[in-house]
Order: sequence, then structure tokens, then C-alpha cells
Amino acid sequence: MITQEERAYLWLCACSRLEYREKVALLRAAPLAELFPRLAELSRSVLGREIAAEGCERAADGFVRSLEEKGYFALTLLSDDYPEQLKHIPSPPLVLYGTGNRALLRERMFCIVGSRIIPAWAEKTGRRIAEQLSRRFVIVTGLAEGGDLAAVEGALPGGNLISVLPCGLDECYPAAHASVKEKIKRGGLLLSELLPGEQTRKYSFHARNRILAGLCEGVLVLSAGKKSGALITAYSALDCGRDVFALPHNAGASSGEGCNELIKKGAALVTEAQDILDWYGMEAPASAEIALTAEEQRILELLRAEGEIHFAALAERAGIKPFEASAVLSALEIKGLAVKSGGNKYSAV
Amino acid sequence: MIAKIICYALNGLEGVPVEVETDVNKGVPSYDMVGLPDAAVKESKERVRSALKNSGLLFPMNRITINFAPADIKKEGASFDLAVAISLLKASEQLVGADVGDIVFLGELALNGDLRPINGLLPILISAKGHGFTRFIVPAGNEKEARYLGGAEIYPADSLTEVVKHLLGERPILPLETAEFVPNAGGTGSADLKFVKGQPMARRALEIAVAGGHNLLMSGPPGTGKTMLARCLPTIMPDLTFEEALEITKIHSVAGVLGEEGIVTERPFRTPHHTATTVSMCGGGNKIVHPGEISLAHGGVLFLDELPEYKRSTLEALRQPLEDGKITVSRAGGTFTFPARFMLCASMNPCPCGNYGSSERTCSCTPAEIRRYRKKISGPLLDRIDLQVEVDDIHYDELVSSEQQESSADVKARVDLARRIQRARFAECGIHTNAEMGEREIARFCVLDKEGDGILRSAFERMHLSARARSRIIKVARTIADLDGSEDIQPRHVFEAVSYRLYDKIG
Repeated sequence: MITQEERAYLWLCACSRLEYREKVALLRAAPLAELFPRLAELSRSVLGREIAAEGCERAADGFVRSLEEKGYFALTLLSDDYPEQLKHIPSPPLVLYGTGNRALLRERMFCIVGSRIIPAWAEKTGRRIAEQLSRRFVIVTGLAEGGDLAAVEGALPGGNLISVLPCGLDECYPAAHASVKEKIKRGGLLLSELLPGEQTRKYSFHARNRILAGLCEGVLVLSAGKKSGALITAYSALDCGRDVFALPHNAGASSGEGCNELIKKGAALVTEAQDILDWYGMEAPASAEIALTAEEQRILELLRAEGEIHFAALAERAGIKPFEASAVLSALEIKGLAVKSGGNKYSAV
Repeated sequence: MIAKIICYALNGLEGVPVEVETDVNKGVPSYDMVGLPDAAVKESKERVRSALKNSGLLFPMNRITINFAPADIKKEGASFDLAVAISLLKASEQLVGADVGDIVFLGELALNGDLRPINGLLPILISAKGHGFTRFIVPAGNEKEARYLGGAEIYPADSLTEVVKHLLGERPILPLETAEFVPNAGGTGSADLKFVKGQPMARRALEIAVAGGHNLLMSGPPGTGKTMLARCLPTIMPDLTFEEALEITKIHSVAGVLGEEGIVTERPFRTPHHTATTVSMCGGGNKIVHPGEISLAHGGVLFLDELPEYKRSTLEALRQPLEDGKITVSRAGGTFTFPARFMLCASMNPCPCGNYGSSERTCSCTPAEIRRYRKKISGPLLDRIDLQVEVDDIHYDELVSSEQQESSADVKARVDLARRIQRARFAECGIHTNAEMGEREIARFCVLDKEGDGILRSAFERMHLSARARSRIIKVARTIADLDGSEDIQPRHVFEAVSYRLYDKIG
């Protein structure tokens, strides 16, 4: 049940004509119980017409009701389950709108992000790390293609997933991921700082990334170019005193320059979920053994030794015909042990 | 006096007999044509008048009426010229004693009396023979095409004078000898798989595609040899049989694209540009309907380079012919059905800039751009393309030590073998290749054991394959098993088939 104070708080925060610091000043200046009369006073200067305190209250009631009708909930800094760690970042969100499994907010969180264009091996690895980590942490990420989607696909089946949107809960950015958003709503939790109907703007991503960093204990960057948005998340995590992890990429690969740069500056190098679990002193969850034929085992070992390799070159190393190699590699791919990247190249994951 | 001469008009791929009746009567000199002639036919008046005079024959200064029967179908083109001239001569009693009753006259006249070749001669000859005509006079320019019609007397003539002398018995023309059909008579041309360096994935896909009659999509950065690979397709396809060759020649003859040989001996390879309209692809026309590119590719390959650049509506129009192997075009002038059983081979870049997935160059496209680019090809069309492969963007020498590349002839031998297995299998099903299998045939001929079924199931989960990919994977696995000479589909065949599904994994 939302208290009268919270109602006033929400109504104030929903007022788009006020800036963040003005809202904070208002919230600090008066006791919340006196907020409605104070808002009524303000209405003349802000809105240009006077609204009585009762009118404000009615409008606030209507706003809260409309949220409830859509199945959304709103977290204020006063709410019990507003994540404690988020309160301590610079300019924490005054309100978080959410829909889905609210209980996830009480769990330990870990953030996985990556650039939208991501090498196939990094995507596969990211998905696997997300899957394994999600048994110990709630995975926090966005909704974009590439790295975000890898984290979503890894963690969503277990339900331990929070996706923070760069737009209001009514909207979907990118629009193509509407079905993914729907699945997260049902299986995980969607959060947004913005009013439900608000569109994505240029600066929304930057603001959203500070929430990602603020929620989690650590951030893993799967892939990032020199100027990737994933780096913004990583650097705001540093600002909040969170741990930063990164997947290592080949030297010179432009899609991984940002990751390698992070590692150079002291981020922890991660190749598997265990690296992160060790960091936090956790046990690895047991995973099932995958049955392989002798031929598959042999090719997999060769693949591991080579890193990324063209299937014809691998066939020559193994002394088999190219199309035989592609059948074995396809088998490994189905078993989740290899991944095909561009140009008919494969790598082990 | 009235004269009647037989000629033929084209209706789609069929010849329709037309009687040219000429009446030369006393009265004010005039020259009229009736019986729905179009502009080109009406103009034959002037050509015939000049041709007669310049051949030393007499143009009657009487009241002339020429009628084309049956009067209800439209007559188009210049192929009636010779028949008009002969009937005029007959009616003006310049061909006394000549027997012209059951001869079919075909040809266009030049002003000096020479005979010019016409389009669509072979389909006309085949239809006419079916109607019981066995004597033909044709332009010498069409000689090569006419040679392949056995069981008829065909007299090639260079000019009107030759025809008249032949009819009067003054200088008879020797009938054509029937020619023996030799597939690939013109040699295979410059394309051969042995000139293709590397590309093991694409080579194998080409082989499987031809062996099972599957359609093929190649994706890769610009300049990696997609077109060259596609040009090799006809060189590994089975040789044309005479019946196939005649059918293809008919289409090419009607469209006027028949080459020097007079009959098509190689499988056609058509590459319409991406600005092609739907009509040019599927066939159409104002009164007489002409076959489109898909019919010209009948029995061969239709190669669509840069697939997403084609107009969406044009690509969608291909769906039904891909399924039925023929296209029916309806116009005001009538409804025409052309055969269109072709193999579709398409190529595309992986993204608008072409560098997506390349190890050396960076792709500058946003994910949304890539999605938009790939969305231009609709799911239902992609549905009909069983094999989707990526073409390598690397110097092959870097990968593998120098190795002798297989020639087209070697690959073709394996393809022929696989085709023979399929012919035996589908003997009573009315289909020829694995790609044509429907659900019933798949259930009957493509039984997967428990292991194979398990593979498919986990492939779907792991690789996010679309549901409709299932039957395509099974069909391709069947072809791979045939190439392997294996009776049943084994797990390794299924695994390999899965690796040729590039675009099903997306979304």
C-alpha cells in the first residue's frame, strides 16, 4: 500500500517541468506531509495556472492508479525494497518504475554488458557465463542486441534477470526486441527510471548505464570497441566503487579494444564464470557433463589449441575432408562447445 | 481466283494454324487485309509488294482481299509475309501446277525478296507436326533450329525466288537432314570449378544443391567470387536430354534469344539485373505474352546477384513458380502457361557495407541496418532456399597447402550418381529430386533414427532454428546421404545439413 507521503513524492517526480536538482531540493526542504500544499503553491510558477492542494492530490491518485492498472510498481527512495546499494551512487534515481518479479531486488546483483556488434565467440561465452552466474547472482543488463541479449538469453531461463530500459516501461527500445521484453516481464524484472510513456533520448543511455552500475556488485564487459557504450557502464561502475571484469580479445581486433584497455587499466580478466565466482569466494554450481564421440573430442582439442580457425584449415590439421569437418563442427556447435563466427571460422567456447 | 495457304501464329509456346486466303478479283485496284492483323502484319502489304516486284514477279493490279482465318485470334509479327506472297502468286495464277495445299510457309520478307529468319520457329514446327503437317518452307536463317525436328520435310530457302522455283519444280531445294542432338556441343565455356581457388564450403554446397535440386544462397563480402562460383553451376548439372533441350529451345526461340547453334545444348544460366521488373521476370506483354527470365532459366539456373537489391514484389512473385515449376500469365489477350522449373541461386552481402563477419575489415553498419537489409528477403522466400552458405573472404593459400582443385567433370560424376539414386527412388512419385519432396515423401523416404531425431531436436534448441527449417534440413541431409551412397540418413549427414543453415539462426 502506498502512503500519502509516497503519493506526493511520486507525483512530484512525475512532474516533467522540474529538474532533478529542483526535485531533490523540494524533497529536502519540506516534510513530505506538507508536500501537496507546497506543490499547489508551486503550480502557479511552474505550470502557469493555480491548482489547489486537493486537485494535486486527485491528480496524484489518478497517476498512481494508472500505474497499478498497467501492472507497474514504483519504488521511491522511501520504499523498503529500493536497493540499498543504489542509494549511494551520485544522483540516484528518485523513482524506479518496474514490472515483473519484484523479489529479485533483494538479491545480490551482477551486471553483464557488451557492445551491440559482438564477435560470435564472445556472445556464446557471455551467454554461458550469464547462465552460470545467474545461479548465484541476479544478472542485470539492458535490452539491446549483442552483449545485452547474450546476458538475457543466458539468465532468463533461470528467472534471475533484471533488465533496465533506456525508455519508459510502455516503450521498447530497440523496437525489434518487443518479444524479448515481454518474456523478461513474465520471467524476470524490468526497471526504468523514466515515466512509462517516455521515449528514448540520446542521453537516456548514459543515465541508464549509471543505474546498471549502481545496482550491481561488479560489471563484466563482454565486448567493447574504443568508444562503446559498454565502457560508460564500466567507468560509472568504477565511480561507484564496483568491481570491473572484462573478457580478453585478440590484440588488434577493433571489437575488443575497449575490453583490452580495461584489462590494461586493472580490470580483472575473465574467461569463465568461475573467475568471477572465485573473486567473490563462491562455489561453482555443478554442470552436466556433455557426451562426445572420439572424433568430436579430437576436433575439439584441435580447436582449443588453435583459437579461431577456418574449418578447412582445421580439416587439414585433422587429416579429414572439409565437409567431414563441417559435420563434426556442427555437432560441437549443437552441443554448445564451439561457435561459428563470420567467414566460416569456428572457435571453441 | 481464290488461294488458300497455311501459315502459323504463335500463342504462348504453342503454334496455331492460320489460313491465308487471297481473292484477286476484277474491279478498282485495291489491297485490303482482314482477320485481325496487327500493325506488323498490315505492313506486310508493302513488303510483299516490293518483294514480288524485285523478284521479277508480277504484283496484280486488281482488287485484292486477304483474309486471315480464324478471324477471331490476333495475328502479330512478320512471319506471315511469305504466306501472303505465295497466296498472292497463287491467286494471280503465277504458280500454275504447283502443289501448295499442305505446305506450311513461314518467313519474313525483305524488300529485295530475301527471306529473313523468324522467332519461335521450333515451337511452330513442333505444333504443326502435331497437327499433321509434314512439309515446311522456312527461312534459311532458321535452318539450324529446324534441323532438330525429325520426321518432316523441311525446305530452307534464302529468297522468294528460290521458293517459287522450288514450287514450280524448276530448281528443287533439298530437304534438311535431321541433326543428331549432342549435349554441350559448344563446349563448357570458360567456367570450371578447377579454376575456383579454395572455397571448400561453397564448392560443397554447389555440389549438394545440384545433386538434390536445392536452391542456394551465398553470402559473403563483395569480390569474393560468388558470381564465379554460380557460373560453375551449369557445368556440374546433368547433361540435357533431347526432350529437355527441345522444351528449352522452344522457350528461347519464342523469346528470340536462341543462339547460333539453333538448339540449346547447355543448361541456361540467366542473370537478370536487380532493376528487373516483375513482368520481365515472370513474363508478360501487351497482346502476345512473352516468357520472362524465370522461363528462360527453365532447366537451368536463375542467378540473382545482390538478392536484397531486387524489388520485394519481384522476389515475392518467384515464390509460386518455385513451387509449381511453371508460371501462368493472364493478360487481356489470353492466358499463357510457361514452364519455369529452374534452380535459384542467389548471392548477397552479409550487411549493407559488406564487411559483417569479416576478420580484416570492420563493419560500419548498425544492428538495425543489418536487420533491415536482411528483412528485405521474406521468410517465405528464404523458406524455399534449402542451402545457405557463407563464402570465404580470405586468401586460401594462407589456410591450406597447395592442393589440386577438383574439376567440374569430377563433381558432375558424383552428381550424376546421386541423381540416379533419386530417379530410382522417386520412380513412382512423379517427382525427380529430393528438393521436390513433400511432407508425404519425407515421411516415407527420410526416416531418421532415434539419434538423428535427437540431433535435430537439440539443434533447434541450441541454434534457435526456425520451425520451418526442419523439413529443409532433412531434405538436404537426404541429398548428402545420397552423395555418400548411403541408404539411410546418418547422424553425420544431419550434422552437415545443419551447417548450411545460415539465416535460420537469426531471429
